[in-house]
Amino acid sequence: MNEQANVEYRIAHLKERLAAEELGELGIRVEARGSSVAVVGTVPSSHCREELLRTVHEELAGQTVHFDVVVAGSAAPDHPEEVV
Amino acid sequence: MIRVAAVGDIHMGADSQGLLRPAFETLHDCADLLLLAGDLTRHGTPDEARVVAREVADLPVPVIAVLGNHDHHEERPEEVTAVLRDAGVQVLEGQSTVVEVDGARVGVAGTKGFGGGFVGRSGSEFGEPLMKEFIRYTRRCAEGLRASLEELAEQGCDTRVALTHFAPVPDTLAGEPLEIYPFLGSYLLAEAVDAAGADLAVHGHAHAGTEHGMTSGGVPVRNVAQPVIRKAFNVYHLRGHGHEGAAAVAASADRRA
Repeated sequence: MNEQANVEYRIAHLKERLAAEELGELGIRVEARGSSVAVVGTVPSSHCREELLRTVHEELAGQTVHFDVVVAGSAAPDHPEEVV
Repeated sequence: MIRVAAVGDIHMGADSQGLLRPAFETLHDCADLLLLAGDLTRHGTPDEARVVAREVADLPVPVIAVLGNHDHHEERPEEVTAVLRDAGVQVLEGQSTVVEVDGARVGVAGTKGFGGGFVGRSGSEFGEPLMKEFIRYTRRCAEGLRASLEELAEQGCDTRVALTHFAPVPDTLAGEPLEIYPFLGSYLLAEAVDAAGADLAVHGHAHAGTEHGMTSGGVPVRNVAQPVIRKAFNVYHLRGHGHEGAAAVAASADRRA
């Protein structure tokens, strides 16, 4: 199997694991970009973020991974929207 | 004016307790009701539901929810629903509820909804039994939503809100990969909203989507997934027009004609 195909299957397996394990995470984007992998999205808590990073590093060991993962905001809004 | 607070996809687990409660305790100053647009848990376990229940227990406003796909994962949605109901949350599935706000009747009709896709790019009731059941399930959800909204009109609600987890329109999915749109919502939900009428449609599910959209019939749609709104909830101000208001609008249109 060539390297590109191998990375894609590793990403697919990572996504399956993220959904199946503790996080139950389906909302994170994991994409091959050139020779690296980008992990992008929002998680519900800082514990989830740590767990996500740990799982990604484990599953994609040896790959260059760029993270852009934030914890969901939990502040009250400072203004309403006038809808109709 | 009706003040509707809404959030979806809070995905609570054992580590989440207390994250949203401080913001929820400000609701008495800024909202008349709180809508929860599904995916309240990560796996749909009763333990996770108890975290949600404690987070919203005894709030100063009515709390109305639908479940999401995550809340079904353990295949115990009845237990999740029971835990939430014990905490005073109204959990809707093909049902409606009415809240009185300063003498005005605010109706909320809810269903989880399901996928299937949007006009011209949707699945259909054709082929294998599983494929047919996929679309029939969505159709049943949409029919429940339509019937519930119609009931609210018959009950004289001044304001009606459609609450779903899956998206009724593709507008609010912008930012998600196009390839997964059929798993994020269905036009059948929007068709139900437009057929029965509503002042606002609220949904979640699409974490990478955008907040604002509109049905073909002109009903504003808001994706309130927490990753989208980046807050504990958003607040939408609605001016209910009810039957008198609708008649006045029609009369005004007649005068212009």
